[in-house]
Amino acid sequence: MPADFFRWLVNSPWTHAMNSHEWVFPAVQSLHFIGFALSIGTIAIVDLRLLGFGMRRQKPAELAADLEPWTRAGIAVMLITGPLMFSTDAVAYHYNPSFQFKMVCLMLALLFHFTIHRRAVRAGAPPIAAKLAGGMSLLLWTGVVAGGRMIAFI
Amino acid sequence: MSVPSILEWIQSTDVSVAIREGGLPYPIIGGVHLLTIALFGGMLLATDLRLLGWAIQRRPVSDVLSQLQPWKRLGFAVVVATGLLLAWAEPVRLYRSPSFWVKMAFFALVGVHALVFRAGVYRHPERLDAGITRHAKLAAALSLLLWAGLIVSGRLIAFDASFDE
Repeated sequence: MPADFFRWLVNSPWTHAMNSHEWVFPAVQSLHFIGFALSIGTIAIVDLRLLGFGMRRQKPAELAADLEPWTRAGIAVMLITGPLMFSTDAVAYHYNPSFQFKMVCLMLALLFHFTIHRRAVRAGAPPIAAKLAGGMSLLLWTGVVAGGRMIAFI
Repeated sequence: MSVPSILEWIQSTDVSVAIREGGLPYPIIGGVHLLTIALFGGMLLATDLRLLGWAIQRRPVSDVLSQLQPWKRLGFAVVVATGLLLAWAEPVRLYRSPSFWVKMAFFALVGVHALVFRAGVYRHPERLDAGITRHAKLAAALSLLLWAGLIVSGRLIAFDASFDE
């Protein structure tokens, strides 16, 4: 299955577009960076608040609600630009251990964000649960970024 | 001392050699540089978005800015420190990289931005609680542009000819 999928992907119009000029890849990658700064940065503000740092005058629920649209916009940018970069060299990424680690962290981080994390920011969540959720979220997103950086090296 | 000899000297220091050829230090420092952009870049965005009136509008400007400022400063310190270490490791290649000089130009503009807007906007955010001035909105919009420019030019360095192995 992966072989057929990769063959189809490499011949797709967006992969051709990504390879059409040498500036396209770095441009898409820069957008990817801006996307994750927006999403992970706003998530980190909420995580630090759950841990008792940062914007302590606001309740976590209020902060999360105010920042969520920007978090989601950032996630959307990441999830569009990421697969575009993947498509240019799918087989190499597929077998890269850093990429595999990044994808596992990303799946867990997204799942965590839209389930447990979402409940932990609500009013009435036990403080220990809030702290654990904030720490776990920071850890998972750190794994995503660190894994991403390591793709070029391992 | 000429520029090439200074660059050669930097490149020959123990720290430079250790980061460049030590295996793990370079990706780790690069990883921390990137993580800082992810974690603290978002705080800078939140500040600018608040000034533009696009986010966290339930809270006064001064409230948002004063709470985020220490984190922004910490992030700035870490991103500059890790950036300096990365530059120290590869001064010759960076000197020949056009994107590096574009990035340094953006960095200089960040300094100009601070000189121009600090007194009027960031030092007294409580004055903006009654209404965000056009001056403050301009500061926020320019800050976002400079920040995006730093990211794009920084990313482009790796694609410059001087970085082809």
